[in-house]
Amino acid sequence: MSGFSEWLARIKDVRAPEALAVGLPNKRIESWKYVPIRGLARTTWQPASPQITEQFALTGGQFVNVPTVNGCAVSENTLTASEQKRLDRMSQAHGFGLTQAALENTRLVLTIQKTASVVLNLHHLANQASSAGFATLVLRVEAGGQLTLVEQFESTDIESANLSSLRCLVALSRDSSVTHVRFQAANAAAHVFSNLDVECSENATYRLQTIEFGSKLARNDVHIALVGREASASVNGLAITSGTQYHDTHLAIDHVVGETNSEMTFRNMVDGKGEATFNGRVLICKDSQRSATEQSVANLLLSDSARVNPKPELEIYADDVTASHGCTVGSLNKTELFYLKSRGLSEADARAFLQYAFAEKIVEEIEHRDIRELVETQLLGELKHGELIAELKESIDV
Amino acid sequence: MLSIRNLHARVSDKPILKGINLEIGTGEIHAIMGPNGSGKSTLSSVLAGRDDYEVTDGEVIYMGQNLLDLEPEERAWAGVFLSFQYPVEIPGVKNIYLLKAAVNAIREHSGLPELRAGEFLKLVREKLKVMQIDESFLHRNVNEGFSGGEKKRNEILQMQLLEPTLALLDETDSGLDVDALRVVGEGINQMRSPERSVLLITHYQRLLDIVKPDFVHVLAHGEIKLSGDHTLAEKLEREGYEGIEAA
Repeated sequence: MSGFSEWLARIKDVRAPEALAVGLPNKRIESWKYVPIRGLARTTWQPASPQITEQFALTGGQFVNVPTVNGCAVSENTLTASEQKRLDRMSQAHGFGLTQAALENTRLVLTIQKTASVVLNLHHLANQASSAGFATLVLRVEAGGQLTLVEQFESTDIESANLSSLRCLVALSRDSSVTHVRFQAANAAAHVFSNLDVECSENATYRLQTIEFGSKLARNDVHIALVGREASASVNGLAITSGTQYHDTHLAIDHVVGETNSEMTFRNMVDGKGEATFNGRVLICKDSQRSATEQSVANLLLSDSARVNPKPELEIYADDVTASHGCTVGSLNKTELFYLKSRGLSEADARAFLQYAFAEKIVEEIEHRDIRELVETQLLGELKHGELIAELKESIDV
Repeated sequence: MLSIRNLHARVSDKPILKGINLEIGTGEIHAIMGPNGSGKSTLSSVLAGRDDYEVTDGEVIYMGQNLLDLEPEERAWAGVFLSFQYPVEIPGVKNIYLLKAAVNAIREHSGLPELRAGEFLKLVREKLKVMQIDESFLHRNVNEGFSGGEKKRNEILQMQLLEPTLALLDETDSGLDVDALRVVGEGINQMRSPERSVLLITHYQRLLDIVKPDFVHVLAHGEIKLSGDHTLAEKLEREGYEGIEAA
C-alpha cells in the first residue's frame, strides 16, 4: 500500500472507511477516463495546516478571516434537508465525492441577506508540500440578494504536489443574482478539485466565469439546476493548458422547469503535451417548455502532441425549446496568420496575437475590472511572445 | 521596381497563373482587370506570399531581390503591402493594437525609431481624418462587425500608415457605395508618389475613374491577354471581356 491509500489508512480514525473503500476514481469511470490520477495516487499526502494571511482565504483546508460585511452572515453549519440531499448526491455522483466528503476539514455556511449586495474575494492559498485540504462552502442567497464571489488561486513557488478540494453549494432564492468569477493560476504542482452545485429559483440569475491557467491537474465539476421560472444561468470558461498539464471541466445545466435560459461558452487552448477535457451537458426536462439554451465550445490546439477531449451533449425532452450548439477543434487559422504577417508582424508575434484573441473573447466578458486586468496580465505572461501585446496594452489602454 | 517573369502558380493541382509577364516601374499605377476566375486575386496573393499557392515556374524580382524567397512579413518589411479583398476579422484584438504593432514592426526593419504612443496617436488621427473614419474605430476589434465599406477603409488606412513602396490593392472597390468609393479612391490618390508603385486589381472601371492608372492589363485564363493605357478600361466597360477571353 502506498501513496494516497496509505494516507487514507493512516487517518481512518476519522470518517475514512467509506473513502478507503472507494479510494481514488479510476479510468473505468466514464467521466474520469482521461484524468491522469497516477501522480495523485503515488503521493503520500498529509493533512494541511493554514498559511498565515490577512485575506479571506481557503488555506490548508480551513477558511480564515471570514469577512464581516453588511448583508453577509455566517450561519450555523447545520445544512437544510435540501442542501444535505444535494451534497449527498454530489458525493455519490462524483468519482472522488465520497473521499472528499470523508476527508472534509471544514465547512462554512454564509447567508447573503435579502436584497443585500455583497462582494466576497476568496483567496486560495497553496498548502505546504504534499498537503491536502478539503473544504465545503455553502452560500445561501436570499430573495433579491446580489453576490459577487471572486475566487483567486494564487501561484506560489511550491514545487511538490499539493491538493486542494472545494465543494461549493449555492442556492439562489427568487430574484437574486450571483456573479461568480474563478481564476485558477495555482502553482504547477497543484491538484485542484472544484465541485460546484448551483440551484436557481424563480427569476434568479447565476453567471460563472472561470479561467484556468495553473495547476498540474484540475478537475471542475459544475452542476446548475434551473428550478424556477425565468431563472437563467450562463457559463463562460477558458482553460489554457500547456507543458504536461491536465484540465478537465464537466459542466451540466438542468432546465428543470420551463421558461428558463442557459448559455455555455467554453474555450480550451492546449499547447505542449497538455491535455484538456470538456464535457458540457444541457438537459431540458419534459415539461420545461419555452426554454432556451446556447452552447458553444471552441478548442485551439497549438502543438502536435496537445490533446483535447470535447464532448458537448444536449438532452431535450420538451418540444417547444430553442437550442443551439457548436463545437470546433482546430489550430491557428492560416488566413488570419497571413493577414497579420502581411502587416509586418513576425510569425511569433502573429501567433501570440491570435492566441490572445482566442482567450480574450472569454476574458473580456469579466465585468470585475481589477480581476479582468489581473487575468489579462497573467494571460500575457502565459503566452509565448506575449510581450508585444503587453507593451501595446500598456501604451494604449491608459 | 517589380518585374514578373513567366509566373506560373497553382492551388492544389489546378493551374491558375499560366505565365504572367509584367513590368511595373517606380511611381507607376497599373490596373489589372479581368473576369471572375481569371487569376487576379491569385496574382496578388502570390506576390504577398500567401502559402496556399504553389509557384511552379517563373520569378518575381522586387527592387533587385527575389520576392518569392521572402516570407510574407519580410515582404512587408521590404515595403510590399496587400489590401485584402476580404479583410480578416480578428475578434479579441483591438484595431489600434494591430495598427501600432504593424507601424512599429515596419519602422524597426527600416531602421527608424519606434513611434511612442503619443506620436502614433497623432499620426493615426491624421489618417483617420483622411479616410473619414471615427476614432472609436480604433478601439473596436480588428474588422469584427465592420461593414464592407468600413473594412475596405480600414485596409486603406493601414496602407496610409505603413507607407508601402509597392501597394497591391485587391478589389478594394468591391462592396463600396458611391461615397465610400470616393473616400477610398482619394485615399489611394493621396498615396501617389514618384517613389511608390501601385497594382490595382478590379472588376470595374468606376475606381479607375477616380484613380487614373498609367497602364491597364486584362487578365484572362491566367495570362495577360491585353495591355494598354487607361482608355482600355473604358473600352472594357463598354464591350465586356468576351472578345478578349475568346482570343
